[in-house]
Amino acid sequence: MSAGRVHRPETLEEATALLGELDDVMVYGGGTAIQILRKQGLLFTEDYVDIAGIPGLRDLTVTDDDITIGTLVPLRRVETDPRTRRLVPVAAAAYGQAANPRVRNTASAGGNIAHGDYRLDPPTALVVLDATVHLASAAGSREVAVREFFTDFQETDVRHGEMITAITVPRQPDGSRSSFVKMRSLSENDWPCASAAVLAVPEDGFVEIRMGLGAVAPTTVYLAFDVTPDMDEQQAVEAALDIADSVMDPIADIRGSASYKARLGRVAVEQAVRSSLKELSRD
Amino acid sequence: MTEVLPDAQPAGTRQAETEPRYGVGERRKRFDALGRVRGTIRYTGDEANPPGTAFVGVHRSTAPHARIVAVHTEDALAIEGVLAVVTGRDLHEVLGDRIYTGPAFADQPCLAVDKTRFVGEAIAAVLATDPDIARAAADEIAVEYEELPPVYDIDDALRGEAFVHEELRPSSVFADLAHLHGVRGTNVNYEYRQILGDAAAERERAATTVSATTWAPPTHHVPIELPSTSAWVDSGRLEMLSTTQTPSYVRQTVSDLLDIPLSRVRIMTRPLGGSFGCKMYDRLEPLAAALAWTTGRRVRIDATREDAFLLTTRHGARVTGSMSADADGNIVAVTSDVRYDTGAFADVGPRIAAKSGLVAPGPYRIAAVDVRSRCIYTNKVSAGPFRGFGVPQVTWSHETLIDELARELGEDPYRFRRRHLLREGDIATVGTKMHSADFLTCIDEVTKAVGWDDPTPRGDGRWVHGKGVAVGMKAVLTPTIANATLNLNQDGSATLLISTVDMGQGSDTIMSQIVGEVLCLDSRRIHVVRADTDATPYDTITAGSRSTYHTGNAVRLVAEAMRSKLLGFAAERWGVPADELVLDAQGVVHEAKELRDSLPDLVRAKFGARGATVTTAENFTSWWVPYDHDTGLSEKVTEHWFAGAAAVRLAVDTWTGRIRTQHLAIAGDVGRAINPTLVEQQLTGAAIMGIGHTLFDEMVFDQGQITNATMLDYQLPSIKDLPEKLTPVIVESAHRDGPFGAKGVGETTILPIAPAYAGAVRDACGVRITTLPLTPERVLNHLADAADPGKAGR
Repeated sequence: MSAGRVHRPETLEEATALLGELDDVMVYGGGTAIQILRKQGLLFTEDYVDIAGIPGLRDLTVTDDDITIGTLVPLRRVETDPRTRRLVPVAAAAYGQAANPRVRNTASAGGNIAHGDYRLDPPTALVVLDATVHLASAAGSREVAVREFFTDFQETDVRHGEMITAITVPRQPDGSRSSFVKMRSLSENDWPCASAAVLAVPEDGFVEIRMGLGAVAPTTVYLAFDVTPDMDEQQAVEAALDIADSVMDPIADIRGSASYKARLGRVAVEQAVRSSLKELSRD
Repeated sequence: MTEVLPDAQPAGTRQAETEPRYGVGERRKRFDALGRVRGTIRYTGDEANPPGTAFVGVHRSTAPHARIVAVHTEDALAIEGVLAVVTGRDLHEVLGDRIYTGPAFADQPCLAVDKTRFVGEAIAAVLATDPDIARAAADEIAVEYEELPPVYDIDDALRGEAFVHEELRPSSVFADLAHLHGVRGTNVNYEYRQILGDAAAERERAATTVSATTWAPPTHHVPIELPSTSAWVDSGRLEMLSTTQTPSYVRQTVSDLLDIPLSRVRIMTRPLGGSFGCKMYDRLEPLAAALAWTTGRRVRIDATREDAFLLTTRHGARVTGSMSADADGNIVAVTSDVRYDTGAFADVGPRIAAKSGLVAPGPYRIAAVDVRSRCIYTNKVSAGPFRGFGVPQVTWSHETLIDELARELGEDPYRFRRRHLLREGDIATVGTKMHSADFLTCIDEVTKAVGWDDPTPRGDGRWVHGKGVAVGMKAVLTPTIANATLNLNQDGSATLLISTVDMGQGSDTIMSQIVGEVLCLDSRRIHVVRADTDATPYDTITAGSRSTYHTGNAVRLVAEAMRSKLLGFAAERWGVPADELVLDAQGVVHEAKELRDSLPDLVRAKFGARGATVTTAENFTSWWVPYDHDTGLSEKVTEHWFAGAAAVRLAVDTWTGRIRTQHLAIAGDVGRAINPTLVEQQLTGAAIMGIGHTLFDEMVFDQGQITNATMLDYQLPSIKDLPEKLTPVIVESAHRDGPFGAKGVGETTILPIAPAYAGAVRDACGVRITTLPLTPERVLNHLADAADPGKAGR
């Protein structure tokens, strides 16, 4: 394993310049994924741009409408910050179940989604909340809806020369209720076999059910449907399972067969939908 | 890194009488607990590398079974910083067939010579100035293979079409294997039989028979500390610092490998950061010795986490067994066909096949048994010792059988076992009398702890609840040898020299407690020297829970010899018979004449010097009666027995198959707890490891290649996987010959965990699972089969 070159820019401009100039280059944030992949001989990138020295990337800012998570904010902070817990509880819940506390203290919010793994927990919450990813390059900046961000298996919309600077997450709508459920097949600390973030948004007698599913398809999946006033909880669950079934395409591995993972996906969806609707009915 | 010692008590004061001495039976923290937690202990890999050290990178085989046609080393040699590249053929030219080492069979080349036998076998070694260069250069080596038919598993091996080794080559270590020399055309390197009565006839006559084929997969030890070995030549001697549980064995192996006297080999150790059997016998040491000796360089080999998975595993084992009862419910017959997959090298597999085969019927009163236990070569990573030494795999069988037999007869699994368990003085099926193996108290205590007779919750439709119980029986490795040398220092402290390796089990702490108890010293004033074959005496191995009993006895004897010697000094000084003298916490005393001397004064008076030392040395060797040639029986097959039990209450999620442990209780008969705190920790630690083996711990192979040899994919129990409640129970049925009645404890409670869980799953949802681990998917598949009328009753 070669050591790789590490660049330590002090401004965003320097960083994006490096990312644009260098051929085989990767942003180094918390390092939790990069270190493992390098150690396993799966990642041979030559140049790393360590963005730890760039000011402002660690900020977590709140406005009347949303909350913006700087790319270097540790997952643990999204999990535990009182503002995220209050304003985007489904995100706090999902971030709080990634890996283990040591990893969450180190891994960064931007690096997490840049990794693009189909099993990640945080993206399930980000898609139901309709978050926006902020990208910067030497040419300027752009925004991408997180629902469009995960393009294919282990692939994202981050282009050569770009880096994630922040994620903006709209506040959970007033009166909405949410739930995050993660199913593991082996150790309790393991990657998920299936996960589901559900946000139930009541509106004019209808309830919009938004679902983000992790680990059950090559990318994070976003789904939504309306629970009409004539449907009871059981019918809502069945509708959710029907629509979830249509997208489930799990990958078999040592953690389970495709059919078992799909089953866990259904359990996660059912639990999360029921839990959200129960919360709603209590209001 | 050690506890801060109190100042020495002023000589002769009475005050010391009330001070704690932390002797036998007292709770004392490990002497190095703080250092282990804070990371201030120096482990083997922490030692600095002197200038000139060559770091070793290993090129590993990508073929499961193949002839090595050529090894191309030019590209590796061209890399800057590469000092040398060594192949198996290079070493074979110098060392000849001595390159083949191993505790049972000389079948393990430190670098493959003419063929490779598993994916991951070491083929060539790069010596370089830097470890990263060494690893990168190892990747540049290219090997030409001529593929041979692979032997992936036990079935392939027994088909007898391809052979992992052309002929069997017993090593010189075990005399009883000599008759296997030169045997060709087999993958079975050892077979143990146990024949008691006529099991076939008894089974024929029996009222009820249950049968099961069980599978326990290979698993890995995953100690926190990775293996590391440094070796160098100093004044014509081979010196080595290595992570090993078996320094005395390694010394002999290196002596044989290099054909030099034992006096020219030195093996040094440091405390181990866990091992569980993976740092034993021939790991990195033969390669390090061969490279240092043939190149003259100081070499260092560090295993990566991924390498460690390729060094050794636990044996996967399949057991096909049956258990039969007569109309009164007496167990009249047990049959057991045990097949251990030992991988490419026998390692200590033949011993495992025998020592586990002999307890395969279980710790019960059984009229007739027929056991066949085989150790079988395959083209996989070599399997070796692992906490439990093969016994968890056969316990998985006999406890599955008796649980199912109890249910078949409509009896309670706890009370049915209790009725048939071996009692003190009973003869086990292997022919040896039982002593100090209190199964009844163990099973009574664990069932009591989990409230066995309390009603089981009905559950909510999704979660169902159940309870399970199991016992486990193991024989201590016999015969073995332990030696101890004790230096009493003039100031009344002592230095103990033994070759037991402290790997976290706390041996250094309890050995000092034994010395302190005999000599009435504060055990914290006794230092135990790390195993170093230039200084510490021969000890068979630190493994198999043998040290407390064997080395503990040598330590007790050496302390008693010291006491006699000290009383002799006082007798000579005062002109009185030694048998009128007593040693107490203040020193030597003659009550009638009111004579008293502290140890410091006594030793100083004897030698006329401060800092003088008094030395004693003792040996303890256990003995056995070898297995009868035809029946495998022995009237003394072991020095002592381990008896353990587990009871569990759990819930199964019928939606996902996931198991949640509500309460696990474990008990082990330890004879006498030298240090109850450390005993409870051993009982608990073994149980947690057993939980991993029960629920998800497994090395997954695909065509001979491990597919989950990383810490991302290999699963271990995390803190969140522990039972909601875990109760360790110490049972003390003193052994007549144990040091203060004590026996070992490290493996006892790993034995019964898996069958206790499987019994509880059976109780909760009516399915009997015989394949480990009990993954949620496996549980769910069984539930689905049970619900499917076409498959029910399988």
